[in-house]
Amino acid sequence: MATTEATTFSRGPMIAITALRILVGWHFFYEGLTKLTAPSWSAAGFLKQAKGPFAGSFHAMAARPDLLANTDLVTMWLLTLVGACLILGLFTRLASLGGLAFLLMVYLAAPPWIGYFYAIPAEGSYLIVNKNLIEVAALVVIMLTGSGRFAGVDRILSGLFRRTPRLATA
Amino acid sequence: MNHRPGTPEGGIGLAGNRESGPLRRFSHEAMNTVFEVHAANADARYAAEAAQAAFALVDRLEGELSRFRPNSDITRLNHLTAGESARVGEAALECLLIARHVHDLTAGAFDIAIGTGLPSIEIDADAFEVRATASGVRLDLGAIGKGYAVDLVAELLEDWGVERAFVHGGFSSAIALEPPPAADGWPLTLSDPRQPSRVFCRLSMRQAALSASGVRKGDHIVDPRTGAPVRGRLAAWVAVPRPAQARDTGPRLAPAAVADALTTAFMLLTLEEIEALCERSPGLEAWVLPDGGSMETTDLRHFGGPADEGAGILPGPTTAGED
Amino acid sequence: MADENDKKKAQPPSAAGGPPKLDRRDLLMGLSTVPALGLFGYAWSRQQQYRSGKEAAAATAPAAAAGLQEINVALLGAGAQGQVLMEAMLRIPGLRFRAVCDIWTDYNQKRVVNTLKRFKQEPNGYEDYREMLDKEKQLDAVIIATPDFWHAQHAIDCLKAGKHVYCEKEMSNTLEGARSMVLAQRETGKLLQIGHQRRSNPRYIHAYTKLLGEAKLLGRIVTVNGQWNRAVTPDLGAPERYAIPAEKLKQYGFKDMHQFRNWRWYKGKGGGPIVDLGSHQIDIYSWFLGANPSGVMASGGQLYHDPQTHEWYDTAMVVYDYDTALGPAKAFYQTQTTNGSQGYYESFMGDQGTLLISESEVNYPGVLFRDPNAPAWDEWVQKGYVSAPKEAEVKEKSDSGAVADVRESVAPDQHTVPVSLRDPYHQPHLQNFFNAVRGQGTLNCPAEIGYETAVAVLKVNEAIEAKNRLAFTPGEFKI
Repeated sequence: MATTEATTFSRGPMIAITALRILVGWHFFYEGLTKLTAPSWSAAGFLKQAKGPFAGSFHAMAARPDLLANTDLVTMWLLTLVGACLILGLFTRLASLGGLAFLLMVYLAAPPWIGYFYAIPAEGSYLIVNKNLIEVAALVVIMLTGSGRFAGVDRILSGLFRRTPRLATA
Repeated sequence: MNHRPGTPEGGIGLAGNRESGPLRRFSHEAMNTVFEVHAANADARYAAEAAQAAFALVDRLEGELSRFRPNSDITRLNHLTAGESARVGEAALECLLIARHVHDLTAGAFDIAIGTGLPSIEIDADAFEVRATASGVRLDLGAIGKGYAVDLVAELLEDWGVERAFVHGGFSSAIALEPPPAADGWPLTLSDPRQPSRVFCRLSMRQAALSASGVRKGDHIVDPRTGAPVRGRLAAWVAVPRPAQARDTGPRLAPAAVADALTTAFMLLTLEEIEALCERSPGLEAWVLPDGGSMETTDLRHFGGPADEGAGILPGPTTAGED
Repeated sequence: MADENDKKKAQPPSAAGGPPKLDRRDLLMGLSTVPALGLFGYAWSRQQQYRSGKEAAAATAPAAAAGLQEINVALLGAGAQGQVLMEAMLRIPGLRFRAVCDIWTDYNQKRVVNTLKRFKQEPNGYEDYREMLDKEKQLDAVIIATPDFWHAQHAIDCLKAGKHVYCEKEMSNTLEGARSMVLAQRETGKLLQIGHQRRSNPRYIHAYTKLLGEAKLLGRIVTVNGQWNRAVTPDLGAPERYAIPAEKLKQYGFKDMHQFRNWRWYKGKGGGPIVDLGSHQIDIYSWFLGANPSGVMASGGQLYHDPQTHEWYDTAMVVYDYDTALGPAKAFYQTQTTNGSQGYYESFMGDQGTLLISESEVNYPGVLFRDPNAPAWDEWVQKGYVSAPKEAEVKEKSDSGAVADVRESVAPDQHTVPVSLRDPYHQPHLQNFFNAVRGQGTLNCPAEIGYETAVAVLKVNEAIEAKNRLAFTPGEFKI
């Protein structure tokens, strides 16, 4: 897909998508920051409760302490950085991709299909759809609509590094 | 471990026996179940006073051991951060030592520290102090506390001279003391937890602890070693004889608590492991009901048997780290 | 944003191939979302502030430092309450048990000594407390948990022997006894703490100093309600093989084993439930209201239990009058031993809010209701004095299905007291005592305060008998 030179939508939708981006980014940033600043957070509890087709892999992640430590570190920093980037509109596509890949894993670890019983109750589950899946979809939209270039640091960066002249934008 | 609160787990029953004279029966709600004292051949009022003292003891133990009490010893431990330590009382210490003993015996199948694992606490038995080596320790004595209470109630009843008694907590932890007159033992039944009217086996017990673990429909038990739910076991019962000698110093040998812990573990161990453990520990007896799938399968497996003296399964002074 | 173009500085036209410049619009739009981070930072810091304030408010006493000066203690009275105190003391570092004294040598005394031995203590066992005071040379403090009618003599003798004393409540079963204890304390200059352990309970202290004292959340407290309801319990018995010989019982003032075990119900030994149970809570009434009562009216009786073995009133309903700094107040108190519903609690009702509190960490662990007409408590929520409100749901539908027609008066916001106790109930009060022994603090319930409560409580039995309102004079509370 060629880099868009101009935003693909008019201003109204772009503002809406930027708002969406900020909200999703805020959520990620908060999740990441609370884990970073908490005295003892580990994904172990969540991983051990994993269900679904990939449960075995998730349990295995929790079982080995070195793997678990890395998982924890990656999780904390990924969430924080993705969140910050999304809020700022920096490397938006990359950040969205990273965020949605992570959320997809989370979704698959706790799929809201009927009949499963969890020790950690999952709220916001609506048969196959749950809030994780909704957020994944939001990130896809963000990834594909270049709001970073509209209102975000990506705009500055692409301005700095662009060689071809720009058309006047709205 | 992950049982719904309030549902009796046990497949233990007390068969009626009309010939042996008056049976006094006293009940008390505690630890999310019902404790009962059955006393044979005892004066009604005296037995009531003894039972009341016993239930006051159970209440006190609940206050020290329950993780649902904000100021219990266990809750205090559950709030420690890595490196912090706290003092505990005798009950908590003895329960933790028993938990460690059974943890070692079963290679980690029995683990009261959900999530962080038993190695996340260090026990200094001399100083009655427990140190957390990791944060977020979540101790749960649900699998031992009832048995421990039953043990202490049995001791109290003996102190009061109410020697012909049967004590249980929710029919999942029980101790048979001396039997009613003209009986060899208390008449107990092991029954199918899915169908309590279906009796697998009748026992006549005296001076022994009997414990039961069972799964109700929809429950699952989580194997602490893998974090995965366990299938394939419907119920397990364990009998441990009461030690003959009273102890003066050192942690209490608590047969019902040990039996409690073992039944929980036996829901997870393989039949071969259970058999090996029973062979190593004279006096230990176990019954296991594997989940055969169909309701008709009766495949109660029986391991071990009563021994002449003592029980090799109980923690001795050396293993408790007393020195 | 059309005016952006107007504000745009004139730019040299971008020649093909020349380095493009970022125009102001790009910069503005590029950084337009940065304020979101600023907003996040602000919200985050507010939350951190709230959290750390909450933690500071909830902090329990810091652990004692290592190298603590050891205090030599003796336990005088190893019965039910003595054992409760012992359990709490076993979790306090820096104590050395030198002696355990109890006349029930075969049972309670022996069991307590054995328990202490398992904790690597080496106490000597005594039957006669005077022998203990004679023989134990290294004794700093005595913890008294004997029956009420022995308190005065035990406490006075221990004080005169140069020991600090922690004496269980009730201070004494007679006013003269209590008075003599205060005089002995003054004379000897030793510490005398009376065992009203709520005075050192962190939740009660938080309520008194922060909620009532600083924030004045309740406004003016006009009425108080309290109760201790207990279900029927059989009399206490004793194991037959450890029965105490009749002569020994008589020597120590008990007519038989039943009286020895159930002394609380007998006249001349204890004061019945109003003293056993009520004195704790009536003590809190005076503390929180900042005043001693000016009058009391009470009705009670032997409604249920066998009067032969239960000489005191098993049921009592009491009304106290107070003249507080903000105006008159009345307090109701009830105790009964036939039904345990709703257990024990105290409820302080002011014109701006209600405080429902008890010692229990399980039932009534501290709830505040803000009157809807009262000013908001946001400032105090921020400081962590009370939790954020749990708003009560408004009833929307009436039974007939009509929507939102009849609404009951809006229920008040409910806040919890964010302070809990992680230790056994008596531990803070004992710790307070031992800190004072080490010279590192003052007693939360010294003898004079215990005396004021004794005056208020002991009058109730008199009032029940008199079937009349009895007045207190202010001088009655002072010695």
